[in-house]
Amino acid sequence: MAGSIPGSDLAEGAAPVARSAPDPVRAHRWRVLRRAARARLAPFGAAVVVLASLVALAAPLVAPYDPLAQDLGATLAPPGRGHLLGTDNVGRDVLSRVIWGTRVSLLAGLVSVVLAVLAGSVLGLVAGYCGGRIDGVVMRVMDAVLSFPPLVLALALGAVLGAGLTGVLLALGVVYTPTFARLMRGQVLSIAARDYVDAARALGAPAWRIAARHVVPNAINPIIVQASLSVAFAILAEASLSFLGLGIQPPQASWGSMINAGRGYLQQAPWIVFGPGAALFVTVVALNFVGDAVRDALDPRTRE
Amino acid sequence: MGRLVLRRLSATVPVLFLVTAGVFLLLHLTPGDPIDVMMAESVDATVKETLRRELGLDRPIHVQYAAWMGRLLQGDLGRSIRNGEPVIENVSRRLRPSLELAFFAMTISLLVAFPVGIVSAIRRNTAIDRAGATFALFGICMPNFLLALLLIFFFGVTLRWLPISGYTDPLEEPWNGVRSLALPAITLGLALAAVVTRTLRSSLLEALTEDYVRTARAKGLSEWRVIWGHVLKNALIPVVTVLGLQLGTLIGGAVITEYVFALPGVGRLVVDAVFARDYPLVQGVVLLIAVGFIVSNLVVDVLYGWIDPRIRSR
Repeated sequence: MAGSIPGSDLAEGAAPVARSAPDPVRAHRWRVLRRAARARLAPFGAAVVVLASLVALAAPLVAPYDPLAQDLGATLAPPGRGHLLGTDNVGRDVLSRVIWGTRVSLLAGLVSVVLAVLAGSVLGLVAGYCGGRIDGVVMRVMDAVLSFPPLVLALALGAVLGAGLTGVLLALGVVYTPTFARLMRGQVLSIAARDYVDAARALGAPAWRIAARHVVPNAINPIIVQASLSVAFAILAEASLSFLGLGIQPPQASWGSMINAGRGYLQQAPWIVFGPGAALFVTVVALNFVGDAVRDALDPRTRE
Repeated sequence: MGRLVLRRLSATVPVLFLVTAGVFLLLHLTPGDPIDVMMAESVDATVKETLRRELGLDRPIHVQYAAWMGRLLQGDLGRSIRNGEPVIENVSRRLRPSLELAFFAMTISLLVAFPVGIVSAIRRNTAIDRAGATFALFGICMPNFLLALLLIFFFGVTLRWLPISGYTDPLEEPWNGVRSLALPAITLGLALAAVVTRTLRSSLLEALTEDYVRTARAKGLSEWRVIWGHVLKNALIPVVTVLGLQLGTLIGGAVITEYVFALPGVGRLVVDAVFARDYPLVQGVVLLIAVGFIVSNLVVDVLYGWIDPRIRSR
């Protein structure tokens, strides 16, 4: 599927000529970065992601209003000078709520993917390294998790874990874990068969050191690629769940819950939906560009 | 072929077992007493005790599991605590709108994806191809519920062409039924169309580099004949795989779509059950959805072997 969306058809033109770089590691990193930057839309994506992160971090400073402050004299006000994105049905400033919602979305995307990467990598490592019955049990459990449609599983888990942000983060972490476990296991199986692992073992290195020094560093690239592509999906999933009413609870703002709250006012005040909707869409598109660029840079299969 | 089916089936059994165990444990993941979570504090203590005994929550967990599993094997999925009806009846009443939605969404996605994918592959790197790629990107990044609201805004609220919520059965009132499913089906279909378009385009491009394509061109076939007669069939295999992989997303999308458009389908039932804290119903429906998902994946696997004889022999 590489090259089928704008921005991923980057690696055209001559491959970078190997310069007389003395440090192969740094030279490699440089190549990776250059390849990522050559994607036409990656800089746009990266800029949006950086901007969104800054906004999320500095939410209290950049939000023009208190996101919870109601102004019943100015309900459903259209976008204008006082309120750049208008106000909602109880007169809260939509822009300020979108800004605070950025925090929730980015946090949800990052934390759930980090949870999944950690849990999945450990499980995959154990399964691939131990083999035998442990491998069978771990991977069947992963298959079982994959047997649920992701959103349905997240919905059910989020429901029993409690309707807070933590429940949703854990639920999404569980949903994405099998992907990383499978990836890591596959990597471990192929790397464990290599000569340098045999050599390390012959030298008497303990299993944990072989894992930490030889297996994980060599297995990490596909994990990074998958993780960077997963963040966008995790943000979409959190928004979907909070649209349905799980996740962070009102009156706190999240993009999904704002969109849900605004759908009753589509006719009189569509900006309540379109503000957070645009923020969500642009963030996800940007993260996709970045993810594609990371993949093209790190995944040998997409190089010529 | 029979062996392929058997092998797939036998691999499914342990997974099915784990899935049931997971669904059973779902009820026990609730922080605190599930009865207190399900019922308001004001509910009489004796009523709570009755429910506790009915659900078997007063017994040790392995006894509960054995009893639950025993009933499950007899086809008893338990009862909703809200309306007291068996889960099966709750679900079967909701099945038709969901299946109709899935059918229309699939039809729309294929009607969009095939022309766009084929034209993009033939007119590669032209403006048409780029427009197709942009469409695919939008389809993948656009959340279901946002697309639904955009469609409601334009076609329902502004133009007033189509109803924005509710359900009429197309088998009873064809015209109104199709109209009531139009926006939900477009919502669900476009995301799928985006993924299928991307896959079809890239698998067509790959198939176009094969030797038999050169032969076909050399004997003077038009480009359309080459695609239609030779390339398309070979490019379909990845499309079937992707359709299979997208099933889970499709089901999740159906949950959201049914919620937004107030369609009385299975997806809406899950959401309602979750927010009514009707855990026996949640368990039953989630289990049925998972089993349905597993079975359809099985079908896709077998279909895959049927399309491509090379896979059967492996």
